[in-house]
Amino acid sequence: MKTMKRFHIVRREGVSLRRKCLYYVIAIFSALLLGALLLLTCGVNPLDYYAKVFTIGLSTARFPAKQVENFLNALVPLVLTSLALSVAYKMRFWNVGGEGQFLIGATAAAAIPLGLGSVGGTVPTLLLMAAAAMLASALWGGITAFFKVKFGTNETLLTLMLNYVALYFVSFLGETKGKWNFFLRTDSDRPIFASVFDTVAMPALRIGDFSLSLALPLTVLICVFLWFYLKKTKQGYEIAVIGDSPGTARYAGMKTGWIVVRTMLLSSALVGLAGFFKLMTSGSLSASITDNVGWTGVVVAWLSKLEPLGIVATSVLICVLRFGCSQASVNVSAVDSRFSDILQGVILFAVLAADFLLRFKIAKKEEAC
Amino acid sequence: MVLDILAGFVYSIIVYNIPLLYGTVGEILNEKAGSLNLGVEGTMAVGAIFGYLLGCRTDSLFLGILTAAAAGALCGLLFAFFTVTLQANQNVTGLTVTTLGLGVYYFVAHAVHSRSNWPMMQDCPSIVKGFSEIHIPLLSDIPYIGKAFFSHNLFIYLGIFLAVLVWWYMKHTTAGLRMRAVGENPGAADSCGVNIPRSKYLHITAGCAIMGVGGYYMALHINGEYLASSGWINGYGWIAVALVIFANWNPARAILGTFVFGIFKALEVYAGSIAFAFPALFGWLKAVPPKVFTALPFLITALVLVLSSARRSKKSNQPAAIGVNYYREDR
Repeated sequence: MKTMKRFHIVRREGVSLRRKCLYYVIAIFSALLLGALLLLTCGVNPLDYYAKVFTIGLSTARFPAKQVENFLNALVPLVLTSLALSVAYKMRFWNVGGEGQFLIGATAAAAIPLGLGSVGGTVPTLLLMAAAAMLASALWGGITAFFKVKFGTNETLLTLMLNYVALYFVSFLGETKGKWNFFLRTDSDRPIFASVFDTVAMPALRIGDFSLSLALPLTVLICVFLWFYLKKTKQGYEIAVIGDSPGTARYAGMKTGWIVVRTMLLSSALVGLAGFFKLMTSGSLSASITDNVGWTGVVVAWLSKLEPLGIVATSVLICVLRFGCSQASVNVSAVDSRFSDILQGVILFAVLAADFLLRFKIAKKEEAC
Repeated sequence: MVLDILAGFVYSIIVYNIPLLYGTVGEILNEKAGSLNLGVEGTMAVGAIFGYLLGCRTDSLFLGILTAAAAGALCGLLFAFFTVTLQANQNVTGLTVTTLGLGVYYFVAHAVHSRSNWPMMQDCPSIVKGFSEIHIPLLSDIPYIGKAFFSHNLFIYLGIFLAVLVWWYMKHTTAGLRMRAVGENPGAADSCGVNIPRSKYLHITAGCAIMGVGGYYMALHINGEYLASSGWINGYGWIAVALVIFANWNPARAILGTFVFGIFKALEVYAGSIAFAFPALFGWLKAVPPKVFTALPFLITALVLVLSSARRSKKSNQPAAIGVNYYREDR
């Protein structure tokens, strides 16, 4: 009789938080190390480069306050979108339609000041814009939830397709002149999106040179609310049960269909709100207004294990990379500004590998053949 | 005159959109083995840049194709390693392959462009020759039809050949049948002795190699011009993901699907001039906003997706286990 030795993987439970953090830190460091090697091949000093990236270019910035503002403005949509997507992922509903929902939200928000003008002052207008953004993208996301519940349509593929429909809808608005199209500037022959800043602006708290947009504290509030909602309420519990086992949920008498639709409405409404916040920093619509947060958000949400605090931390890391690399590329011409894509990709793969080591262990198996 | 324009129209649709066929056929191989790979865009970009650089360096079209396929296969291997061996989420891994792939594309392109002479395709006689249209005796000489369908470059025929080959493989070979079983019900396939990881690795890698060649075509088609802004792939990889559904996971239908998507893409640009040339027949095209043509394929695909799930139609070929990782001990 022959014995065969081979390796197989088995689940691992109860890994301590310290160990998790250690693994992730090692993963990120090894990814940065790989990035450093690439930078060396370009003849760039990696320490200098990374110093620029991780100080988001503040050391050489002429207007540091403005720089921090821009960074936070880029961070808010990413955090909010990732948080929103994570709500749907809690119930294993693969909403990859963040891009589309974001665009629809921003468009609906823009429609208020551009179509109706100021509605009784700044605050009512802003409230109306936020409501429009949330409602429109909730409906947009709700379409997919409805078909998923009704017919079992694959939600990944359907949200993916609807992204394009939303994208081309916005491009269509941006290039079609017409009496009806109030999204465009009237004083230009070429089609250009009008700015909402002529009508309304986001209230901001001024601290010296620095102005803190209201969007940031609101996002923090939403983060706390979502943590509470998912962890402490009955609805949050229902979401968790459906995610773990839809069969159990149904057996326990939950209205799973309605819960899926309700949760997706919440998820996509919050993505829409992120679109509204972004609109209030960019001023005008555009097809590229999303800055890819709909895609990045998927990755952020999943890597953070759908934990609100983890999402904030991961978003900050990714945002620092993106923002920092684009700042660093101003001074370092040998490296493309999209170097952040490589760093981001390698870090994500390293973290996914660390995840594997935390979830599974490799065991030696002896079996008789 | 009218036929001349029509032949030119058909010709350019094929020439501009054949990369979609490569992307789609590659993605069908992935999805039919149960893996939803959202890394098509990145995989095509990586294939494009390495195929182009090495092909031009050696002035060999064959080596270019080989490099592009190998680079694409490497991306597939990465995806397979993470989703099959490490059990990582497929959506996340695919999106990360795209991010990393585009990053590599820009990094390499920028480094080559800024430090040395960007290789020009015109300086590579054998690539230019290999990429030029092939004259097929008799067929190419058929008036109009010859111009539209039979005076293309090597890649067009290769793409169609690959599509038919993959269709035949999936439909008529045992290995193809097993691979479809993996995509439908990996547990059942496993109990019948199919090696799931091997099947997944094999088909993901092969599929991604095909995508890589599609990327290489896109590089050659714009003469390898260095693009700092939008990149060579420019969203074609994403369209391929949609096209898979439109083609109902059937590589042979993907040929037709590529053509239909191509018509809509072309109409976005040419609808105005067609309406001008044939006011009686196509005058109404003028009234349609161009972006409607661009959005229509995606809208139709979404409708197809909903309708086929609504009828729970037997005709839908969507793999049942798509996007779900297989972990034996969960069975």
